[in-house]
Amino acid sequence: MAEDFARLIESHRGYLLRVAQLQLRDRDAAEDVVQDTMLAALSGSGFAGKSSLKTWLTGILKHKIVDAIRRKQREPVVVAAFGDIDSELDIEDFDALFKDNGAWESKPAEWGNPEESLGQRQFFDMMDICLERLPPNTARVFMMREVMELECDEICTELSITSNNLWVILYRARMALRECLEKNWFAGEERRR
Amino acid sequence: MIRRFLGHLLSCKDVSRLVSQGQDRPLGGWDRWRLRMHLSVCAACTRFDAQLRFLRRAMRKYRD
Repeated sequence: MAEDFARLIESHRGYLLRVAQLQLRDRDAAEDVVQDTMLAALSGSGFAGKSSLKTWLTGILKHKIVDAIRRKQREPVVVAAFGDIDSELDIEDFDALFKDNGAWESKPAEWGNPEESLGQRQFFDMMDICLERLPPNTARVFMMREVMELECDEICTELSITSNNLWVILYRARMALRECLEKNWFAGEERRR
Repeated sequence: MIRRFLGHLLSCKDVSRLVSQGQDRPLGGWDRWRLRMHLSVCAACTRFDAQLRFLRRAMRKYRD
């Protein structure tokens, strides 16, 4: 029984590694955090079955990642690395998507029935690709908000950024993701019909 | 008077930012009203709003 559970947890390693890497950028740190998560899952208070296994594991991973970030923040060199956020805010100027008067340069397209995509494995592969294309700090923050579901003030405290910084980062992430999916998935959907 | 009123209306660019912010904090009554007014007459931003809400659902599914 324990072996089956261990094997089941192991099957999520790839996904957990992807999330950890997007957060921590450092491959070694990501692997450590995933390993700690697996161990905690196997030895801890046990899976009550209230949520999916993947969600439960992600919850444990979130705490391990936050701990790792806190540890890293005590080292000045890594705090400086996140200081790069300002240059990331200049890249991908979304003002270009709008005309001078504030109207859409190129309007959001009709996506048809996007819910259908949620049942397709290839859609999530495309989401992976689009997330990978985000600038690293943008992706990290977006995952903290949308995958780990941290509250805004928690994220701001963790990363020492202001609410305004956070909203701008999340705005850019959402705009980029929306555009990527529209170009690479939903535009095709229209043609496929 | 009219010009001052028109100055308070939202552009699509403003709306895109508000819609995104609305996913992270509750919007004030004035912003919510202006947003609703704009969405009621702008099909493009209405699509955008639905798409951002879909993105959030997709991210939840991605996690699960």
